[in-house]
Formats: sequence, structure tokens, C-alpha cells
Amino acid sequence: MISVKNLSHSYNKDETKAVNNISFEVQKGETFGFLGPSGAGKSTTQNILTGLLKLQQGEVTVGGFDLKKVHNERFNKIGVSFEQSNVYGKLTAKENLKFYAKLFDVETRDPDELIALVGLQGKEKVRAGEFSKGMKHRLTFARSMLNNPELWFLDEPTTGLDPAIAATIKDIIREQQKKGTTSFLTTHNMFIADELCDRVAFIIDGEIKLIDTPKNLKLEYGKKLIDIEYVKDDKIVKETLKTVDEHDKKRISEIVNAYDIRTMHSKEATLEEIFIEVTGRGLV
Amino acid sequence: MLKKILRIFIRDIKSTKREQIALYIVFAPILLAVAITLFAPGLNDTTVNLALLKSDEPAHIEYMQQFAKVELYDDLEALETRVNKRDDVVAIAPKGDGYEIVLQGNENEIVQTYSTMLNSLYEIGATPEDTSATIMSFGKTVPPLKTMLVNMLVSLTVMLAGMLIALSIVTEKAENTINALNVTPLSQTGFVIGKSMTGGLVSLVSIVIALFITGYSGVNWLMVILVGVTSMLLSLIIGFVQGLASSDVIEAATNVKMIFLPIAGSIVGYELLSDKWQWTMYWSPFYWAYKANDMILSKTADWPTVLLCTGMVLVLTLAVFFIARPKIRKGLS
Repeated sequence: MISVKNLSHSYNKDETKAVNNISFEVQKGETFGFLGPSGAGKSTTQNILTGLLKLQQGEVTVGGFDLKKVHNERFNKIGVSFEQSNVYGKLTAKENLKFYAKLFDVETRDPDELIALVGLQGKEKVRAGEFSKGMKHRLTFARSMLNNPELWFLDEPTTGLDPAIAATIKDIIREQQKKGTTSFLTTHNMFIADELCDRVAFIIDGEIKLIDTPKNLKLEYGKKLIDIEYVKDDKIVKETLKTVDEHDKKRISEIVNAYDIRTMHSKEATLEEIFIEVTGRGLV
Repeated sequence: MLKKILRIFIRDIKSTKREQIALYIVFAPILLAVAITLFAPGLNDTTVNLALLKSDEPAHIEYMQQFAKVELYDDLEALETRVNKRDDVVAIAPKGDGYEIVLQGNENEIVQTYSTMLNSLYEIGATPEDTSATIMSFGKTVPPLKTMLVNMLVSLTVMLAGMLIALSIVTEKAENTINALNVTPLSQTGFVIGKSMTGGLVSLVSIVIALFITGYSGVNWLMVILVGVTSMLLSLIIGFVQGLASSDVIEAATNVKMIFLPIAGSIVGYELLSDKWQWTMYWSPFYWAYKANDMILSKTADWPTVLLCTGMVLVLTLAVFFIARPKIRKGLS
């Protein structure tokens, strides 16, 4: 569905690259996570793929369309949910969706149904300008589904939403996955990536460090960990130790023998911890 | 494509109806047209004000009332008090066998001369019918000052179209909605045409309403529309450029005003400069549009001249368009 070969982009058109010679492919029906901290090149890549940035270098096809040529009709099968909500404040929620629906050449979904789907039922006739940040974000998300997209770009789809709404959004994404929608998910939230993505790419400083399934990454890089809390000199001390590391194993034994243990939990390495291990950088 | 352009137009109209500044821009020309209509009867008022005594001969009072605005007073003291007020009033009071003309001293010379001449004509018993001159009239019934004001109003309305576009673009930028449109099948050209239709049609309708209100319904409408549409093109380009370059409504309004200032100057140049210096204003498309409208409103326009003027407007606007096009393209991406 998406093919990217040797993609590079420079905002100043010089040697400073926001994205540097990256290549990847996204298969039909796959949910592909593009993960990295702020400024890593995630948005630049997504903006090139959605046509918001002009392709400078590399070969990119999206939904079968070569990005070197202008094909506005490709947007009939693409949906884009932006990180920052972008709806018309002077129009009501329903007017917003109806307006965008008329711009597509394909059959579109019922605005009322979409508004209800994202939990905004009863707000159809309220102007978007009066919405909270989260409500605007949900309306932006709903708009991205108007044209029943075959390829769905999701930029930080749950950022700024309360946990209940975020769960609703994740459920909607899962429903779309079941229908066979291909999704390109850009996020710095490793939990949502872990939950939703078939494969993830770690991008940092404009370069892809690795691409694999979350499961494989955990098998390859993740090590069983033990969170241990114990009392030392009347103070509670916390340590996280690897069960596969000889030094850590000895340390666990020392702590158990020498101190009063408060809590001890085993856990699997998170995608975030793997990201830090692979890239040497955090996600902020 | 046409359907999508229409959608942009309808959406913009809907938003304009809900935006106070936009509504003001739409209704300002109509309000100004009403103001011009209300004040127009006084624009050509050159009447001289005279103060006479109630005890004066009725024939004298009646004669004077034909050619001046006459106020009557009980006695000489009241007459003198009236003359000493701020405005120009000349008092004429009987004295002996003749008349005495009472002045404050600072009256306009023409007012003094006119009053004196009028009294002399009464004394010799002259009437307008006594003249040997024949009257040849071009039949212009509209005061030239009113035509000038209405023409300026038309130019202002054209400029407001640019302001409306700038306002709309700034709002789209603030709400980040241009990006959302860029991921739909709507082309950039479609977006520009749709937006231009809003500014253009709203202003064109305002011009038509303003001309009806001010009493110019008998003009050649085809000429009015042709000049209106061509001169609006420049205004729309300025609106797009300034809208894309500005970060908020106030900045956009200021920038558009600054751009229109020299353009408005060319209109003043048309009115004030002698024929010898008119060429210095040829650079301005609004000069040509104003010139064409002047002839159309005065009902002296002919098609070759109107076409020449609109041709000049188009050529100059095209030059501006080619300079501004990369900026507009980049801004909308």
C-alpha cells in the first residue's frame, strides 16, 4: 500500500536532513507504527506521504500513486487524522463533516453516525469553536473516516484525550483494522503502538533504526525484568534488574538475603524500554 | 470541480454570516451608499443666505426668495445680531430711498458680490427671462461631487473584496484547515477560485446595491460588471498574498490597508492632477478602473474607452499575479 525507497527531505534544501535516506513498505491491511521522539522525522515523513510536503528525493508510491506526479484523486482513498485538530470553528460539528464529505468523489459515511461514533452525539448542532480541545480532536478524527479510507494516516490519535475517550478511539482503530484498512500510525506513545501495530519502525534523527513486529522486538531485545522494593537504612529503595543478566541475578540474591523486601514484581520489557536500548535515546 | 468550488463558496458565505468583521465589510458599502444618498441633496447647494426685515416691501422679499434663502427679522438690531453669527449671512435693510447691505466683514467675497448684484438686479427690475442668451444643457442632472463620491465608494468596495479574502485566509490559517483541505481531492486552483468567488461576488452585489441606493440604476450595467470584475482581480490577489503573509486578523487588515494606500492615492491623483500629469498614475490598475467608472457613472462612457481601461487593468493585474503566484502557491501548500 505504501512503498518508500531512499526518501530524504531537507527543509532548507541543504545537507541538513529532516529525513535521511529511509526505506520501508507497508502492506495492505497492515497497521504500521512510526515511532520516535519529537523532531525525529515522523511528521516530515507523514507529511510527504500525505502530499502536504513536496517529495524532494526518493521514490514513494502511496495507494498505487507515484508521488512524483500530482494525483488529487488519490485522496478519495486516503484519510488523515491530524495531531492538531483543524476544524472550522464557525461551523457546527455536522456542518464541518458535511462540507468535507462533499469534497470527495466517492461515497461518504453519514456525518451523524461518525459524530456518534466518537462520542459527540448531541453536539451535532454545536459550533466547533465552542468545543474543548479533546472534542475538536475527536471531530478531526471522525472527519478522517468520512471517505471510508483504504489507507488511514493517524498522527498521535490519542494525544490529549482522557483515558476513556482514548480507549474508544483505539476501539475504532481496531474495528477499522478488522475491515482491512491499512493504517500508518505516527506516535511517540509506545503503549498505543504496542497495542495496535502489526509492525513498528523506530525513527531517530531522520533515520530508521529498525523495523519489526512488537512481538519480535520483545523477543530479541526485551529481557525479563524484576521491579524490587526493599528497606535500607530505614529508607525504601527501588531497583529494576534483569533476570537474564548474571550481575543482576547476583544483585537480586544479595537484596533478598540482606534486606527487608517490600514488593517484588516480574515484568516484560516495554516497547519504550526497547526503544531506549536500541536508539540510546528517550521518547520525549 | 465546479461542485467543489461551489462548496467552498457556500462554506465561506456561511462563515461570513457568522463573522462580525466580515459582516461589517459586507455591509459597510451599503451603509456608505445610504449616507451619500442622505447628504447628496446638499452637495450642490450654493444658495446664499440673506437676512431681511419683516417690514420690508413684500415685492423685495418675494424677489430675493427666488434666488436666495431668506430669513426675516423684526428689527434692525435682530438683523445685526443674525449677521454677527458664525455663518455667512448678508443682511439687506431699507435705508432712505435705497437699501443698506450689512456685513460681518469676513464673508466669502462671492457671497458679498452675489448679494449686492442680486439687490441691484431687483432695483432695475431684471428677471431671468430678460436675458438674450440661449440655454444649451448637456442634461447632466447628477452633481459631480456625488458621482465622485459614488465612484470612490465603488473603488472602496472593490478593495474590501481583498480584505474579505485576507480575513478568510487568516482564519483558515489560524484553524489550520488549509492542511485538511489539502488532503481532499479538491485542487489548489479549485480552492483559490472558490475563495475568490466569495470576495468577488459579495463585493459585486454590494456595488450593484450601492448604485441602486445612490440613484445610478440607469447606468450601463454590463460596463459596471466588466470594470468591477476586472478591477476586483487585483484586490483578490492582494487579499490572498496578505492573508497568507499575516498571522492574525489585525495584521492582515493593516497590511491590506497599507497596500491599498498608494492605490487609493492614484484615485486622488485622477481627481486632482492636471491632464499634463495624469500619466504618473498610469501604473495603478485602480486609476484605470476609476477612470472607466467615472465615465460610466456620468453616462459618457463608450465601449472602446471602457475596453481600453479594462485592458489596462488586466495587463497590470497580470503583472502583479505573476509576481505573487509563487508566494500564493507556497502559502497554500
